[in-house]
Amino acid sequence: MTARIVATHRTPSASGRYRPAVGSTSEQIEAEVHRVGAELADAFPSPARHPMKALDARAMELAAADLEIRAALFRFVDVVPACRSMDDLARHLAGFLDELPDGPPPVLAAIKVADTRAGRAALGAAAAAGVKHMAHRFIVGETPGTAVPVLRRLWARGIASSVDLLGEATVTEPEADAYAARCADALRSLSAATARWPERPTLERDGSGGLARANVSVKVSALTPLLRPDAPELGERDAARRLAPLLREAKALGAHVHIDTESLDSREAVLGLVLALLTQEEFRDGPSTGIVLQAYMRDSPEQLDQILEWASAHERTPPPVIRLVKGAYWDHEVAEAGQHGWPVPVFEVKAECDRNFEALTRRLLAARPTVRVAIASHNLRSVAHAIAVNRSSGADDGDLELQVLRGLGDDLQDALAARGFRVRTYCPVGDLVAGMAYLVRRLLENTSNESFLHAQASGVPLDELLAPP
Amino acid sequence: MFAATTSTSTFTNEPVLELRRAAVRARLADALATVDAVLPIRVPAWIGVDTREGDELLSTDPGEPERVVARAACAGAEEVAAAVHSAERGAEAWSAVPASERAAVLIGAAAWMRERRLELAALEVRECAKPWPEADADVCEAIDFLEYYARGAVALEAGRTLAQAPGERNELSYAPRGVAAVISPWNFPIAIPCGMSAAALATGNAVVLKPAEQSPACALRIVQALRAAGAPPSAIALLPGNGEAGAALVRHPKVHTIAFTGSLPVGLEIIRAAADTPTGQRHLKRVVAELGGKNCIIVDADADLDEAVPAIVSSAFLYAGQKCSAASRVLVHEAIADALLRRVAGAARTLVVGQAEDLATDVPPVIERAAQARVNRYAELAARDGVIVAGHGQVPDRGWFCPPTVAAELPAGSAVLEEEIFGPLLAIERVRDVEDACEIVGAQPFGLTGGLFARNPATVKYVRARSPVGNLYVNRGITGAMVGRQPFGGNRLSGNGTKAGGPDYLLQFVEPRVVTENTMRHGLVV
Ligand SMILES: Cc1cc2nc3c(=O)[nH]c(=O)nc-3n(C[C@H](O)[C@H](O)[C@H](O)COP(=O)(O)OP(=O)(O)OC[C@H]3O[C@@H](n4cnc5c(N)ncnc54)[C@H](O)[C@@H]3O)c2cc1C
Repeated sequence: MTARIVATHRTPSASGRYRPAVGSTSEQIEAEVHRVGAELADAFPSPARHPMKALDARAMELAAADLEIRAALFRFVDVVPACRSMDDLARHLAGFLDELPDGPPPVLAAIKVADTRAGRAALGAAAAAGVKHMAHRFIVGETPGTAVPVLRRLWARGIASSVDLLGEATVTEPEADAYAARCADALRSLSAATARWPERPTLERDGSGGLARANVSVKVSALTPLLRPDAPELGERDAARRLAPLLREAKALGAHVHIDTESLDSREAVLGLVLALLTQEEFRDGPSTGIVLQAYMRDSPEQLDQILEWASAHERTPPPVIRLVKGAYWDHEVAEAGQHGWPVPVFEVKAECDRNFEALTRRLLAARPTVRVAIASHNLRSVAHAIAVNRSSGADDGDLELQVLRGLGDDLQDALAARGFRVRTYCPVGDLVAGMAYLVRRLLENTSNESFLHAQASGVPLDELLAPP
Repeated sequence: MFAATTSTSTFTNEPVLELRRAAVRARLADALATVDAVLPIRVPAWIGVDTREGDELLSTDPGEPERVVARAACAGAEEVAAAVHSAERGAEAWSAVPASERAAVLIGAAAWMRERRLELAALEVRECAKPWPEADADVCEAIDFLEYYARGAVALEAGRTLAQAPGERNELSYAPRGVAAVISPWNFPIAIPCGMSAAALATGNAVVLKPAEQSPACALRIVQALRAAGAPPSAIALLPGNGEAGAALVRHPKVHTIAFTGSLPVGLEIIRAAADTPTGQRHLKRVVAELGGKNCIIVDADADLDEAVPAIVSSAFLYAGQKCSAASRVLVHEAIADALLRRVAGAARTLVVGQAEDLATDVPPVIERAAQARVNRYAELAARDGVIVAGHGQVPDRGWFCPPTVAAELPAGSAVLEEEIFGPLLAIERVRDVEDACEIVGAQPFGLTGGLFARNPATVKYVRARSPVGNLYVNRGITGAMVGRQPFGGNRLSGNGTKAGGPDYLLQFVEPRVVTENTMRHGLVV
């Protein structure tokens, strides 16, 4: 089966661009990582557009410097959509600032003087506008319809997308049905809209064949209210009732469905569900489907064994896409294990997670064409490493997909597109209420001292950023 | 299989099974089969080294009432007297054992349980229809009590520091009180009797354990654990029996301490009886009472419903609401009441009603036919007085199942809002604001647990200051207190304020004694 990769190796890449030959010793790969990394860093837009700067710069600096302030600010952002009036909003803000052990810092003290009702209303309005503005950096629109123009502009610039429908947690059957209906609607409206888009060969073909334009990311926890960590079959069965019709719809439309991975509590149900459905006869030849592997899990190498074993036993056309991520639920996993006295399932040293990410990158790239590979990270080192390993394997740049999150990976996305790589941006769609949990998670993650974006924003030199973990 | 703790280490909670892992789940079926193979279990009256088996009490599987889990003796008045007599001598000997040795026995009993964790949980699954995760948590809690009180008793033996003046030495120490009668419920069938017994034993008392008639087999395992670990036979007796045995025990003049967990009416009866000082009784009895609750969760307008709804549903319906800490009223701000009601009702409809052994089960059967009838009566009353928004679902016809029910629009004063139902029935009420909700909570006679969902720190502060409950939970479910982390117990008519699994609990089982010695001789401080 490697023949297909070798074939793309010999033929000019889809975009016909230059692809250097890269040796496969670790020194050669490291050299290539630095070359690619420097090239991408060069292509980054001016620092003023950095996502950290998009937020209220002073508040973000404060947040990163002081854990208490960070907690207060994010607790505030979190509650904004639940506030009933500007007055209510200001009262919440005052409430959080009151909690700070040393009192509010000077830049925020002004907020506390808003003791009159009119003062509070003005303050509330300002804060609401700030949060809304921030949310719009991360969330492309309230509905797929309003998101389409944004997605079309990205496409025009050589950037594909995957739409994620934000929503409240699913706790009832009607909520699960409504989410499934929104997904089906997104598949249809994106398929219709994208059909009229101009050709972008880099984004539409790889060594395994054509790539769908319409791409939706789906969360199993939204597809069923019955996810129970102790009884995965229950949620699996219930979610399958709603996922199967979505797959049928996607197959008919030629769209891609990606199933996100969430916390460990639902991981078994999610993987079991997807592997079982895709094994069914009607889905053997479509739709294009993807799953997610989280490199922060200590047992992710065994997870990959299981996935690859399944993939080679049930060969599919098109091959399943494996999106490699580090994992978005790190704090949750650590806290949950701590509260129950369980072994911590995730790496606790960031470098171990990063090294594992690279090891999994190599295994995944070597497993093609049984699977397609998407590397999802904002970490320049992780991304450059994947590109270098891909090149050293003799594959074309276009046989590797790179993915970023809207609002966090905008600069990397632009740099990747500018250098002709195949990049896809994960674009959350939904209203502010539904989006707040997502927004807060992203903000917390990226003001964390362990985050690459934080290191990059604080001016760590490129060489250090690109050093092996 | 499970790591043992040594007596010198600091206390940590016994980790519950990580049932989200398939390999861990796979071990449960074997444990259940092992237990099924030995049913029915004979539970004797066990006084000193004497055992008397009997058939007078049957405990059956609430989900499969034909399955007999235990055949137990039913202790009569003579056996109560014999048990107390034996314990009286036992207390003398046991009180002379240093705290460190008593602690070693408790820690040995914890190890015995740890080795049999799955079988003990399986027994709870059968005898009390406690679903696996909760049965396992109960066994862990029992182990925690043993480990926690063992350490606490060693610390207590050192006494407390008092102010000292020149020429005088003041010492405060704690002596065991004597015979402790432990009268326990079936809903935490190993943890609660084990915890009350462990506290009494750790501090040097002898115990006569009278467990609920619904769960004698679980109680037998506690006594086996303690005796296997070296507790002298005279230090712990088992008296399976009904209410009469309990009443006789409470009235016995040689009993010093009564540790009771159960309903308010029985608790009040015990407190009244214990106040008597019949001839021959040379002490005042002390009662440790953990009684009922009518626990409210307040939901403010700024609450995160994604968090509140699952927490409310699990607090109200897990183990079919048969926990004294379970939620029975939700007081929700009118601004979000419609959304909350719709979502809680919808979530309640997704609950799986089924057998305790099935890991998919959310709501198992209630403990017995009488409990089923009681819950159904309240559900009918709720339908008459208000509106049932969830709960017409089908339930299995064998076993004592009740559908999880959510009621709304109940008029103030309805019995559904005021009485402890102890079943899967939740009432939701609209309030104008949090202050209004606090008024309602404040007007209740109970004060066990309470919950608050709110995101403004000022609101949290306000409710904390006004809440009369023993355990207030903010932005989380209101059940599942952990030993050492959430010492548990109620105020008002919910109990006399002791906190199981907390640093003060052992004080209920001891008498403080102060000795002041003059150290001056002929004007010299020596
Ligand atoms: C397109 C796309 C799709 C995604 N889909 C998913 C998904 O389905 N499921 C999912 O869980 N996540 C998903 N993520 C999020 C992803 O898991 C990361 O949270 C995020 O991308 C940050 O990682 P990074 O490589 O960009 O940044 P980096 O800064 O290099 O890494 C940050 C990450 O490192 C890990 N980490 C932080 N501290 C430590 C520590 N002390 N020890 C060990 N590890 C630590 C955490 O995973 C943290 O998110 C997605 C990301 C993208 C870009």
